[in-house]
Amino acid sequence: MSIIKLINISHWYSENRVLDNLNLEIEKNKITYILGSSGSGKTTILRLIAGLEVPDKGEIYIQNLKASVANKIIVAPGKRQLGYIFQDLALWPHLTVYENIAFGLKNMNKSEVEGEVKGILSLFGLNGSLQKFPHQLSGGQQQMVAIARALALKPKILLMDEPLASLDVKSKRKILDYIVSIKEKYNLTIVYVTHDHLEAFAIADNIVVINEGKIQESGTAVEIKNSTNDFVKYFIEW
Amino acid sequence: MLAISCEQNSNSIVVYTTVDQVFSEPVLKEFEKKTGIKVKAVYDTEETKSTGILNRLIAEKDNPQCDVFWSGDPLRTAVLKNKNILYPYTSKAAKGIDNVFKDKDNFWTGFSARARVLIYNKKLLKDNDVPQSVFDLTDEKYKAKVAIANPLFGTTTFHLAALFSVIGDERAKSFLENLKANDLVIASSNGDVKRRVVKGEVYCGLTDTDDANEAIKEGANIGVVFLDQKGIGSLIMPNTVSLIKKAKISDNAKKLFDYLLSEDTEIALAKSCAQMPLHNGVKLPDGVLSLDNIKPMNIDYNKTAGKLESIQEYLKAWVERK
Amino acid sequence: MIISHNKSISSNLLYTIVLLPVLLLLVLPVLNIVVLTFFGTNFPESIASINRDLFLLLLKSLAVSGIVALISTFIGIVLGFSLYKSDIKYRNVFRLLILIPLFISPYILAVAWKDISVLIFDYNTSIFEKTYSFFGMILVHSTIYSPLSILIIGSALSNISKQMEESALLMGSFKDMFFKILLPLIRPSIITSFVLILIFSISEFSVPAFLGFRVFTTEIFTQFSAFYNHNLAMLQSLLLIFICVILLVSERKRISDSVFLSIGTRGREVKLYSSKKIVVFSYIILSFAVVFTVFIPVSILVYQSFKTGTSKFMEAIFLLLPTIGNSVLLAVIGSIISVFIGFVAAYYSEILNKKLMNMMLLVLFAIPSTIFGIALIKFYNNSLLNFIYSSFGILIIGYVGKYSFISAKLIGNSIKQMPKSMEEAAVIQWIGFFKRIQKIVIPLVLPAIFASFIINFLFCFGDLGTSIMVYPPGTEIMPIKVFTIMANATESLTSSMALIVFLVTILLVSLLFFIFKKIIAKYNVNY
Repeated sequence: MSIIKLINISHWYSENRVLDNLNLEIEKNKITYILGSSGSGKTTILRLIAGLEVPDKGEIYIQNLKASVANKIIVAPGKRQLGYIFQDLALWPHLTVYENIAFGLKNMNKSEVEGEVKGILSLFGLNGSLQKFPHQLSGGQQQMVAIARALALKPKILLMDEPLASLDVKSKRKILDYIVSIKEKYNLTIVYVTHDHLEAFAIADNIVVINEGKIQESGTAVEIKNSTNDFVKYFIEW
Repeated sequence: MLAISCEQNSNSIVVYTTVDQVFSEPVLKEFEKKTGIKVKAVYDTEETKSTGILNRLIAEKDNPQCDVFWSGDPLRTAVLKNKNILYPYTSKAAKGIDNVFKDKDNFWTGFSARARVLIYNKKLLKDNDVPQSVFDLTDEKYKAKVAIANPLFGTTTFHLAALFSVIGDERAKSFLENLKANDLVIASSNGDVKRRVVKGEVYCGLTDTDDANEAIKEGANIGVVFLDQKGIGSLIMPNTVSLIKKAKISDNAKKLFDYLLSEDTEIALAKSCAQMPLHNGVKLPDGVLSLDNIKPMNIDYNKTAGKLESIQEYLKAWVERK
Repeated sequence: MIISHNKSISSNLLYTIVLLPVLLLLVLPVLNIVVLTFFGTNFPESIASINRDLFLLLLKSLAVSGIVALISTFIGIVLGFSLYKSDIKYRNVFRLLILIPLFISPYILAVAWKDISVLIFDYNTSIFEKTYSFFGMILVHSTIYSPLSILIIGSALSNISKQMEESALLMGSFKDMFFKILLPLIRPSIITSFVLILIFSISEFSVPAFLGFRVFTTEIFTQFSAFYNHNLAMLQSLLLIFICVILLVSERKRISDSVFLSIGTRGREVKLYSSKKIVVFSYIILSFAVVFTVFIPVSILVYQSFKTGTSKFMEAIFLLLPTIGNSVLLAVIGSIISVFIGFVAAYYSEILNKKLMNMMLLVLFAIPSTIFGIALIKFYNNSLLNFIYSSFGILIIGYVGKYSFISAKLIGNSIKQMPKSMEEAAVIQWIGFFKRIQKIVIPLVLPAIFASFIINFLFCFGDLGTSIMVYPPGTEIMPIKVFTIMANATESLTSSMALIVFLVTILLVSLLFFIFKKIIAKYNVNY
């Protein structure tokens, strides 16, 4: 069952077409990897799903609701029940870890907020860093805070824009394990954008390979490995 | 604090003056003290060359804020008269003042006068070398050593307009050309002329008696000459006071008008900045020159004001020429 | 590209709420006077007198101000580097000292430098007289405007991430890094500095007037003040405004074309150079600048104030004391409003691509101050609006109209450097517009907000050109009192007043610095 549907989506940045009549369905409670080189349009897909960009053509459905149509946002980003991990993490540098996470929590009193934030941070082993500022944390810890911040609002969908690119293999592995476990725990659908096919092969349920704004191939890790598509073969060669 | 200026005080009066605040403020304060009428003044600055007020009066024409305009010279007042901004008034207090110093249509009345003088640096010029006539300034020996203020502004305009009306356009122009040929220094203001003479940048320069007086008070080593005492005479520049035309001319405005024309004011200004009283027989403090001692340039103040407009373009070109 | 999520009702509301008063209270008076100009009776004569000579004069002004802008920007680069990138002690003291020329009125500086030059050079030559006005203008303007350049370029320098420079240093010499990496990276700020200073210099009037140097502004002034030809003066001003707008538009274009640096979210570290050569160079160059732009002029003022004893200084205190309260209050109110309007204009222009307000502020900024004063009189001086015209409100309107653009500019540059994701992360979380602005955007650009507050404060506090046209009768504010008293006061009284203004200003700015430092520390914006 698909939770996100992109139908005939085209998108331009000024003169450049970044997405070309793209059709894509994301399955519920699965980890879907969107794999592509830089400039392939993969980040744009995430931004369109999030509602941070308006499609120039096509329609986007989220949980069976029409969320965006050409040149129009119907469901505002904040109402789409999704979390977004930005490439630069976008942790607010002037707020502490605690404040970063508490910021989006609404309709709660102070002690409820505190319970919520502490609860989620202990999941990530960040209880000792409550009053620290983002720049006082290691790269891996910053990732955790960003993920915790997104999960605090209990989203149905988690969009991740290559957040692990700058991490060492060990930390990366550790966070990927977390991602798999939180997916189970929270019944999440995860859409993950990266250029790292090994990472994708390791944990993805589904993989979509895109190039120059078009889908080249989609399927499970095994299917992608056995693809006959020239671009896919070239892309996963290494 | 912001509210203070909003409150309409009926027992008050608005005066705009181009006379330096140091000298005009004490006079206005004295008026306040004597009458209990609050004076709200707008002063002007050297930097804007006394034109802030004039332009303000012109811009405010449709809804005048000002009641009384006190000018340092009759020339700017004439501009306002031409622009139909003034209101005629004959004050009894002006009785003792010669009609020469009054507008023929009563739009302004003159009082305390300054004169145009030459000041020179005593260290740089020996007694024999001091010019005695404005026409001496074209002499080779003063080349690049004479300063006057920019004639487009201030009392210098008046001085040149007077010169044009006394000696005729042709002679005046050739005189100015000769001055230019003699590398005359054009300073930014009369104050700047004073500064240059005091500092010795130039030998001498044309300025007003009050500037000269101020320099002497400061202990500058300068001498003062009333030029052309054997010729055309020195230019006498009275202060003028006018009422501004508005829906209702207040009695307070007339009171201030009369007060400014009083002998008291003239004596105060004589003391503070050596201005010469125009009332006959005012008792002068020591050291203040009286009109009786100098030969005034014989001009018609009304006509001279008219002269200005016809020579202004020429003056502008003259200033700008290298 | 317009970001959809920001087209919310509350964002439109804020824009409208700010735009309306800007339009009605500030822009309308100017439109009014423009219309009056074009429909004035002597319009044909005025247009006829715009001739070749006038254009040549405009070119000359552009050239001279261009030189000033070049010199100031060069100084900005050198001193900006010394101040923000070298590992020196007493950095904050130097930062404050170097700003001082901004506090001193251009006119007073012109007089002080004139006195100094007369002492140094042989004024008995006509060459001195003929060249002084040119060099004097360049000297004084460069002195006044360099601090702006230092501020603009310095803040750009401290936004560069350490890695950029370090990776370049690994591959080449310091010189290569400086010219091939650092300078290109701060190119936008260099352009901004150049254009802003060019505009400041070309619209400044008091220095060329004092030095007798004929430029476009003195020409406008002559039309205005000798001929009382408001129409022609206005028409010429429009020409000047046009030039300024062209300059700023082309600046925008060049800047939007260039790469932008971001405030790093993973922590920003500023590379400080501690090599002995650089540190010593920095000390020398900074000390020289302080001596040259601060110590010498101030010493002259001190000498002139006290050479006849302390009586004149006491007199000056007595004269100015009653004006300080009004002036400070008005300048504070004026700058708070300017910063607010500037922030809104900048945010909508940078983030939401609504450039109208920014453009209007720019035009207001480019209008010569006397003309702006006349525009205000013509608009406000009637029975309906008299309550504004006869109160201090008119001065606030004058300040805000004249100087909001500075805030818009400085804050705009800072907003541009804020990564878009900072706000988007909050959008995803369904955080409302006002909370985003309040909790995310403002804290992130807080340093720029404070910097523009201080600069706005300085400009409002020292404003003369517009204030002299509109100040309510019977009131006293400091710059006007100084200048009206100065007209015929003794040199020692004049210098004493200038000195007091200077001391009061430096005291206030230090106080502001201190308060802002506390707030910034609280907000932890020094990440």
